[in-house]
Amino acid sequence: MTKHIVSVSLGSRHRDQSGELTLFGETVRVSRQGTDGDLAAAEAMIRELDGTVDAIGLGGIDRYLVVRDRRYEIQDAVRLAKAASKTPVVDGSGLKDTLERTIIAQLDQDGLIHSGQSVLMVSAMDRFGMAETFEKLGYRLVAGDLIFASHINYPIRTADELEEMARKLLPEVTRMPFSQLYPVGIEQTEPSDPRYGRYFEEADIIAGDFHYIRRYMPDSLAGKTVVTNTTTAADVEHLRQKGVHWLVTTTPVLEGRSYGTNVIEAALTAASGLGADSPRWASLVTAAHLDGTRLKLND
Amino acid sequence: MTLLDALQQFVTECNQNARLREMNRDWTRRIQLDPDDTHHHHWLVSDAGELSAGEGLVKNPDMLIQAPEDILTQIFSGQMTPTEPYNAGDLLVRGQQDDMMRLDILTLLIWGE
Repeated sequence: MTKHIVSVSLGSRHRDQSGELTLFGETVRVSRQGTDGDLAAAEAMIRELDGTVDAIGLGGIDRYLVVRDRRYEIQDAVRLAKAASKTPVVDGSGLKDTLERTIIAQLDQDGLIHSGQSVLMVSAMDRFGMAETFEKLGYRLVAGDLIFASHINYPIRTADELEEMARKLLPEVTRMPFSQLYPVGIEQTEPSDPRYGRYFEEADIIAGDFHYIRRYMPDSLAGKTVVTNTTTAADVEHLRQKGVHWLVTTTPVLEGRSYGTNVIEAALTAASGLGADSPRWASLVTAAHLDGTRLKLND
Repeated sequence: MTLLDALQQFVTECNQNARLREMNRDWTRRIQLDPDDTHHHHWLVSDAGELSAGEGLVKNPDMLIQAPEDILTQIFSGQMTPTEPYNAGDLLVRGQQDDMMRLDILTLLIWGE
C-alpha cells in the first residue's frame, strides 16, 4: 500500500511539487505544500493533516539544531509540531546529522572535492555535521551564519568557534520569531543581494541552505562546486547559467526537484515506522541508499 | 547599578573584545535610549565599531529603544535577555531589524551561556 507524506513548508507556494519515492520496497507519495511564510496557516494545515497521512515534514524551518552534543529547539517549530498528535512530525535534522556527513566523506573519497579547498557554508548551525566533516577532512571552513542570517560581516572559521557561538546564541535566538532568523515566504524569491559576494568568490565549494545561496550569490560562480538541496529544475538552470561546475544535492532528485531533508526523513519514517531518535536510525539511513545526485553543469 | 553604568560596562566589553570589534567594524549607528518611566535619556553610539555611551539626547538617531529604565539596565548589563521583555511588549524598538538583531547578538556573546 502506498504511503503518503506531506511536507508543510513556510516557503513559497510557487515551489510546491509532488512525486513518488521507493524506500525498502514501499512506494511513498510525497507532497510539498508551501504556506508563504504564514505560521498560523502552516499550523492549521498540520492540524488538518494529522491522522490522515503517514508522516508530516516541517519545511522551511528546523525544529532541532544539533551542534555536537547539544540540541537546540526552535520554539516556532515546536508550536507547529504540537499541532499534530497522531501523525509523526519530522524536520530533517535527523538526516542532516547522518546522511550529510556521509555524502561529504564520499565526495572527498571519490575525488570530486579535495582536502585543502575552501568551503563557504552559508549557514552551518543547522548543518553542523556537514561543517564538522569538512573540517575533519582538512577543508578550510568559512561558516556564514552571522553574515547571511544577521548581516554581521564576521566569518566563523572553525567548528569549535561555531559550537561556542551556538552555545551562547541559540538558547535565546531559538525563542525569537522564526521570520526574524530566516527568509520565509515571499522573502525566498527576493532578488539577488551580492553584497557578500567575496565570500563566494574566495570559496571553491559553496554548501548549505539553497535559499541563502540563491539570495546572496554573485553574478558568477564559475568553476564552483555547490552542495545543497531543495533545488527545482529552474534553480538548476540558474546555477548552470552562473557557471557552476558541479551541483551536488544531498537528497535524491524526484521529477527534477531535490526535496528538503524533512521530506526524505518523513518518507523514511513512513516507510520504516522509525524516527530519528531510534537507535536503529543511522543504520536505517545507510540501508535506504539515499544517494544524492551529482550534476556536472559546466566543464 | 544605573543605566549609565550598564551602558559603560557594555561599551567596555565591546571595545576590549577583538572579535566584537571585528564584527562591528562596518557598523556606525546612533542609538537613543528612552526609559519610558523616567525619561532619563541615554545614548549609545558605534563609530565603525568603536562604541561610546552617555546621558542625554543624540542627534538624528538611527534607532530608538524604549523600556522601563530598570529593564534597559538589566539588558545592557546582561542580567536579562531582550527577548523576554520584547515578547511581553515591555521593550519597544524602532529602527532596522538588523540593528536589533546585532544588539541581541552582542549582548549574548558578552554574557550568553
